[in-house]
Amino acid sequence: MYASERWLLRACLLLPLAALVLFFGVPMLTIAWRSLVQDTGGIGWGNYAALLDTPGVWRALANSLLLGAVTTAVTLVLAFVVAFGLERTCMPGRRFVAGALALPMLAPSLVLGLGLIFLLGRNGIVGKMLGVRPEIYGFWGLLIADVLYALPQAVLIVRTALRQGDARQYDAAEVLGATPWRQFCDITLPQARYGLLSAGFVVFTITITDFGNAVVIGGNFAVLATEIYNQVSGQMKFGMGAVVGMLLLAPAALSVFIERMAAQRAGAGAESALPPTLTRRPGRDTAFFIACMGIACSIVALVLTVVVASFIRLWPYRLDLTLKHYDITIAGGYAPLWTSVWVSALAASVGTVMLFVLCFGIRRMPGRLAQAATALSALPVGVPGLVLGLAYVFTFNTATWPWGMLYGTAILLALCNYYHYHTQGFMTMMTGMRNVPTTLEDATTVLGGSTARVLRDVYLPALLPTLLAVLVFLFMRSMVTLSAVIFLITPSLPMGAVTVMRLDEAGLTSQAAAFSTCIMAVVGSLALLLHLGTQRRKPGSKPA
Amino acid sequence: MSLQITALHKSFDGQVALERIHLAVGASEFVCLLGPSGCGKTTLLRIIAGLLPADGGRITLGGRDLATLPARDRGFGIVFQSYSLFPHMTVAQNVGYGLAIHRTPADVVQARIAELLDMVKLADFGTRYPAQLSGGQQQRVAIARALAVNPSLLLLDEPLSALDARVRADLRHELREVQRRLGIPTIMVTHDQEEALAMADRIVCMQGGRIAQAGSPRELYLAPRTRFVANFMGHSNLLPPAQARLLQPALGGAPEGMAPESALLCIRPERLQLQASAQGTGRVTGTTFLGNIQRVQLHWNGLDLLAESSSASTWEVGQSVDVSVSAPDCAWVHA
Repeated sequence: MYASERWLLRACLLLPLAALVLFFGVPMLTIAWRSLVQDTGGIGWGNYAALLDTPGVWRALANSLLLGAVTTAVTLVLAFVVAFGLERTCMPGRRFVAGALALPMLAPSLVLGLGLIFLLGRNGIVGKMLGVRPEIYGFWGLLIADVLYALPQAVLIVRTALRQGDARQYDAAEVLGATPWRQFCDITLPQARYGLLSAGFVVFTITITDFGNAVVIGGNFAVLATEIYNQVSGQMKFGMGAVVGMLLLAPAALSVFIERMAAQRAGAGAESALPPTLTRRPGRDTAFFIACMGIACSIVALVLTVVVASFIRLWPYRLDLTLKHYDITIAGGYAPLWTSVWVSALAASVGTVMLFVLCFGIRRMPGRLAQAATALSALPVGVPGLVLGLAYVFTFNTATWPWGMLYGTAILLALCNYYHYHTQGFMTMMTGMRNVPTTLEDATTVLGGSTARVLRDVYLPALLPTLLAVLVFLFMRSMVTLSAVIFLITPSLPMGAVTVMRLDEAGLTSQAAAFSTCIMAVVGSLALLLHLGTQRRKPGSKPA
Repeated sequence: MSLQITALHKSFDGQVALERIHLAVGASEFVCLLGPSGCGKTTLLRIIAGLLPADGGRITLGGRDLATLPARDRGFGIVFQSYSLFPHMTVAQNVGYGLAIHRTPADVVQARIAELLDMVKLADFGTRYPAQLSGGQQQRVAIARALAVNPSLLLLDEPLSALDARVRADLRHELREVQRRLGIPTIMVTHDQEEALAMADRIVCMQGGRIAQAGSPRELYLAPRTRFVANFMGHSNLLPPAQARLLQPALGGAPEGMAPESALLCIRPERLQLQASAQGTGRVTGTTFLGNIQRVQLHWNGLDLLAESSSASTWEVGQSVDVSVSAPDCAWVHA
């Protein structure tokens, strides 16, 4: 290898690693540091002590824990039912259920809260029909919205766990005399337990850090996410905000740790495992069909309600169709939507390039540095968006350091969104890298191909679907995320998801619905394009 | 108890997997189902276990029809290639699983577990988890688990295929030893003819969903009835009747009941005798040294033959040799 090529490879590893340190490592250290900087000056545990004396925080903490626990319990049960129905039964309508579950991923979290208000709120369609004024704001509304929002991600994790079954274990148990129920308890449940555990932590984290639904439907039910926002945005208590941020890190960090452990334990499975065969059992299949359809239809109903309500003159009293809500009346109009698209495109392209270069560097230059990069890349998933956003404010809202000039730019928003989802992108990219044939790479090198040639002729063709998937994933997440950017936006740089929240706060619920519909249209059409594109790419492959 | 299979057949989506299977397994017999992949041997085993329904035919065990009996009530033992132990249970829990299901008292279960772990030489491993054991040890646990319930029939689905050559040879011996001691009728599926020869009382050689030939290992090796069986059971030289007469005039033509054009004479390589001779009609075209023996490739009367000789003698490529065989070492097979 020539010296110039070695430098190129080293740059492949060092550049993204340096960026990861600067835009993830430094902000996280900064927020930890700021939680120790007291309002009176000096370093100490003063902020943590002050927290004990703030009654609002205690109330919010208790509420968050209660909501998190109940949401987690309900979501896990529902997620297991749906995942089992999709993976292990012959129930009809599996594609519909899987599709319905993808819907919440296309929209900002608060869309579910909006839908709930349109359906069950004081001026909801159900209340009007029954002649009552139901109270959906508060714990119950938040519970339903959070469950439905977290459900898709939980189902994804549990499905993965259920997919790893071994048909032979069931055969062995069957021959030994175990009934189907016994087999379920002795094989299926133990197999899914780490998946369930991991899903539980993910749901808990999502719930206690979700900002959108808490604002839209939380009512007087104060939670930590809104509390941290009030402390920082309202009362300018930055130290206290940092402390709450550190608190929010705990469950997420724990969940990452558990997931690691689960992955290690799961490694014991046989490589030759055959997937369990599905047998038709009418009773069971019907039961799962009804349950899964109920869940899927609720999600569809909520999202659809938002779309429909955006075209209705005065929900639910004057039901004639109109486009007037699409005439956004608050400052900026549709500008935030285009900012969102621009920032998301930036986050997606920068993120995809960075991830590709990083993974290429890790693969071609194994060693300490590569290990460090891998370890650091696993961390961002454990940091709630709210905390990362706050950390960015502490780090980049500065005049003393050169990177302070990034503050208030679209680039910083894009970087924040990218690093928020760095881990997921990194995992996908590394998995994709495994499909690149090493022998082909070696053969090209032996034939005299340069690094650039290897990249073009070996990596790019094998990685194209992966690159596309990462690109679209980063774009979609960046379009709908709210919590990470809520602290970073400025009046001159508003984001779409934030505007939906502002519209709702201003009482313009129908306009919020219209704006949400636009976001969903952008994200949805892109997701559909990707779906069609990848389907044509692999003809003959079975639909999932 | 003996197993009796009559006129069993099975097809998948119109594709015939098993056709007219007739088979009897004696009270303490060890039967190997041998054949290439896709020959239906595993399908047959799964139907016997009750894990797969047959399309027709009868299976009885000790005179009792198994058709309506689900797998879990048959009381069999089964061992798979992939061990298939429950990963979250200890070795002892795995072995005791079948007993626990049948609500056996705990002290009986404990005693039985100890006895079986002792039998498979894993007495001190009861508290370990499967992931902490080697492949051979895991398969021993799987065997113990299958035997714990005193099965009326033991089914083995390529139990040794995933193991290293050395471990496989040891376990082969142990498995046969245990089966002999307990006297359980056993059916083992394998694609390894050497394994079948070494372990079975009787080999059932299968081809394309049918039984090509069943018999003792000696019978199948020395007197195969078809070209398929002859080839599957090891190397063989197959000679058309004309050349067969040249090699061994005493054999005459093809036997009665066999058309000359569909008859071949099967001679195992180690039965061919070679003699260095300047006037010999055979010519050595190559040799392969295998340590204890060597293989000699020959050209003889327009045919390529394979002979095996002791590695003590040396053969040169191009050397002329006399080839001979004694009549009892030959068998006629259907082409």
